[in-house]
Amino acid sequence: MHKISLLIFSTMLLAAPVYSAEPTGLDIMRLVDTRDDGDDLIQKMKQRLIDRRGDVREREMISLRKDYGRDSRSITYFLAPSNVRDTALLTWDYDGVEKDDDQWLYLPALKKVRRISSSDRGDYFMGTDFTFEDIKQTPELEDYNWVLTGSEMLGDQEVWVVEGEPKNDDLKKNLGYAKTRYYIRKDNHMYIRVDFWDRKGQELKHLVSEEIRQIDGVWTAMKGTMTNVQSGHRTELTFSEHRYNSGLSDREFSERMLKRGYRDSGQN
Amino acid sequence: MKQIFNRVLTHPKSVLLLLLLLTGVAGNQMRNIYIETDMDAMLPRHSDAYINKQVLEERFGSTDMLIIGVINDEKDGIYNTHSLTLVQELTDWLAEQPHFRTLALNDLLSLATIKDIRGSENGLDVEKFMDGVPENRAEIDYLKKRMHEFGVYEDVIVSADGSGTIFAVRPMPDTRHKYAEIYDMVKAKVEAMEARGGSERFFISGRPVIEGVFGVYMPQEMKRMQPIIMALLLLLLYLSFRTPRGVFLPIVVVLMAEIWMLGTMAALGAPIYTVTTMLPILILAIGIADAVHFLSRERLLAHYQAYAHRKERLIEVMHELWKPMLMTSVTTGAGFLSMLASDLPPIRDFGLFAAVGIAYALLITMLLLPAALMLLPEKEKHADRKPLFSGYVEWLGRAVLAYPKRIMAFFAVLLIISVAGVLKLDVNASLVDQFKPGDPIRKADEMLNQHFSGTTSLDVMIDTGRENGLLEPEFLQHLVDLQLEIEKDPMVGDSSSIAEFLQTMNQALHADDPAWKRVPDSSDLAAQYLLLYSFSGAPDDFETFMTGDYRQAHVRINMKTDETRVVAALLERMKGKTDAWFPEDKGFKVEWAGTGFTVHRLSEMIIEGQVASLAVSILAIFLLCWWMFGRLLIAAIAMIPVSLAVTVNYGMMGNIGIPLDIATALTGAMALGIGVDFAIHYLHRYHEESVAGRSYEESVINTNRSVGHAILFNSFVVVGGFLVLLSAALYPQMKLGALIAATMVVCYLATCYLFPVLLGLGRKKIRV
Repeated sequence: MHKISLLIFSTMLLAAPVYSAEPTGLDIMRLVDTRDDGDDLIQKMKQRLIDRRGDVREREMISLRKDYGRDSRSITYFLAPSNVRDTALLTWDYDGVEKDDDQWLYLPALKKVRRISSSDRGDYFMGTDFTFEDIKQTPELEDYNWVLTGSEMLGDQEVWVVEGEPKNDDLKKNLGYAKTRYYIRKDNHMYIRVDFWDRKGQELKHLVSEEIRQIDGVWTAMKGTMTNVQSGHRTELTFSEHRYNSGLSDREFSERMLKRGYRDSGQN
Repeated sequence: MKQIFNRVLTHPKSVLLLLLLLTGVAGNQMRNIYIETDMDAMLPRHSDAYINKQVLEERFGSTDMLIIGVINDEKDGIYNTHSLTLVQELTDWLAEQPHFRTLALNDLLSLATIKDIRGSENGLDVEKFMDGVPENRAEIDYLKKRMHEFGVYEDVIVSADGSGTIFAVRPMPDTRHKYAEIYDMVKAKVEAMEARGGSERFFISGRPVIEGVFGVYMPQEMKRMQPIIMALLLLLLYLSFRTPRGVFLPIVVVLMAEIWMLGTMAALGAPIYTVTTMLPILILAIGIADAVHFLSRERLLAHYQAYAHRKERLIEVMHELWKPMLMTSVTTGAGFLSMLASDLPPIRDFGLFAAVGIAYALLITMLLLPAALMLLPEKEKHADRKPLFSGYVEWLGRAVLAYPKRIMAFFAVLLIISVAGVLKLDVNASLVDQFKPGDPIRKADEMLNQHFSGTTSLDVMIDTGRENGLLEPEFLQHLVDLQLEIEKDPMVGDSSSIAEFLQTMNQALHADDPAWKRVPDSSDLAAQYLLLYSFSGAPDDFETFMTGDYRQAHVRINMKTDETRVVAALLERMKGKTDAWFPEDKGFKVEWAGTGFTVHRLSEMIIEGQVASLAVSILAIFLLCWWMFGRLLIAAIAMIPVSLAVTVNYGMMGNIGIPLDIATALTGAMALGIGVDFAIHYLHRYHEESVAGRSYEESVINTNRSVGHAILFNSFVVVGGFLVLLSAALYPQMKLGALIAATMVVCYLATCYLFPVLLGLGRKKIRV
């Protein structure tokens, strides 16, 4: 992600055997948080929402993201279905919980940009099984108590198993989770599976990331499936046409662009 | 036949052992009995109300909710910090209970979960009405103002006058068998909250609660009534026989028959419904007759010492009695089996298993009594005491001959009054009305219906026939029209649909200008609103109003009553309108569901089944009588007392205002089946007297003297047995008990008073 942080990790990784101690749960989550995911990214995204009867609803969008230090901005244009084509969402995402994210939505049928009030972190996002908290790269680390519970093989990968419990009841209520469990690959610090438990302590959802490969030197999951085991509803996200570090300009993340709509030729 | 009887009497121990063994097997089966309180399970599986209910659940996740109302009669109603703190506390508590499903907004609706949609200067705000308990007057006033302006939840979640608010929570899908437990748990919680003081009062209702309480009441009732009716039987048997064997042998017979019947039900997987809880009582009351006849006859023959050996005597008793017993059992059975003409499983099961139980009672009587009497030591007979009521029976024989005109006049008046009553007969299959007035459940339900939009659900599902169909402005406008039309009914508290929310969003995105409270102008705009909403509110907020492909819409209606006539009138009125708004030839399909609709279909089927089973039973019993007596005229005469009794039965219901429901609908065929026995016994005896060459007068007196007693005893048992039901906690059983008891009285009177008069009308011609 950032050169400085990379430096710190390398140091840590080198240092680890010296102290011959296992990293703590928090150490590992920091590795996940600071993993290199490029400075900017253009990608195509397909959402498949599958309900318990197997009925499928699909959406396609193209999404641009740029990092600003620990903050980031993104703009997402809807391509399909046709009745929401050219609808676009601009998000200015601020690190930490102190400042609410800013979100604007352009509705082509109304020809107006509307600001959207910020959601609770535990609210579900766009009809998917992901909450606003889930779609972030990593949860807010300081809100959880992280515990490394062990190492194991998941598929053909060696993983750390880290459990995170929201620090207090208010947070649990807000996030909708009593506990989360991350399975994190030791080689590239990507989580490949996450289990979630609801506030009643019952298993709620699990997220599985698949088809992990390196694109432009960045480790990328091409597919993520979140399954709600209680409702039987599931969301499949597939990503394609990644372009990392193409040097997106600040202009791309403005209200003007939101209204103009996505034009491929407009990009480099 | 005699050979079979002989074999029974030669191996009495084996016979008893076999009976005990079978009873053991049946008793063992009884563990598998389960209770069915789901009203939809009372519908046949092919009924549209049953199917649509499944579709509603499957497509819109809409299931019956537990409802808690809190009412505060003080000036500000629930708009005060104390009440709102309780609202928050109870909401949080409900969300934490594992028995409730609380995934989506529509799983747990309360003032603390519902969301306000509001236009802001440059966007749309979707926020909870209550984000924590409001702390000061200003915040509370704002909450009150928004609730009123938003409108969607007014009267639904908060009563229009602010005096109360509601919690609706969805039980987990697999918790049906725990409904009673859930009710107790919720009750304990609200009682604890009430006990802390404050002017808030809590009321719990909703179908899960009603069905849960039913599930508790039913076995309790069965257990409670069994000893009462047994005591009654013991008393009557003692009065008749005054010997231990005379009292206990018939009791053992009917208990065995009861166990066999319940065992059969369990083995065949038939559940216990509200109406079938009455089966044991029924079998005790009806099954006892055969045993009483047997023992009376045996005692009589023993008294006259007509046979040297008791084996011969018993063979004679069996030989004499098997035919009339079989006949009366067959006619009674035919009355019950006619209930198979109904489409409703509870009524079908009731008829089928009553007939099975009657057959068992006959079989056990013919096996157990002779075998037991063979084994019991012969005792010196008591001096034959005059049976009770001998004076009355003697008087009766002469009285009917003395006052034929008065008797005719009495029955003619009764008939006229009854026919007038039949014309007033009403149908109602209300679930709540099955509880007595004053029952806490019924009171809670009344309270909730009074303050809020209503506890009875009625649902319309509209399939637009194509993806995104429900986003079309024209369709959305018709949804609005539909709601307006439905809400004209004073018994409809509220309705909601996706159109309502889209109107509100349209207004919110046009600076909250009320002029824009209308459906979006284009399908695309509607789609974009919904997408917009999904960023602010949870997307499953609307899953109960539409499917993900925007093809099917659901309008939810809350009604203040589940009375059939109201629902029927509403459906009738809506039919033409929905046909015009959602024409079938354009691919639309309108389907109704919900408790209101279930109740409506139930009552329709009650009437259809009622007419069919009455017709079948009258015909079957008539044909049986014709076959037994060999003469058409006699068969016709045999039908008169029961037909009269059945008419009086329905007339009484019409005159008193007892509607036909799933329990009272049984009375007709039941009365017919039981009552015709009286006529058969009477005619049989009269026939023998006539054949013996006695005059009309002598025949009447002699008939009364011999079968008058038996019929009187039968009437006492049946009337007494059904009067026990008056102590029931559930209304249908009370009503059924009273009706059958009264009908049996009429049947007795018609048999013993009217019959002889009728037979005397053409005394020259009518020779039975």
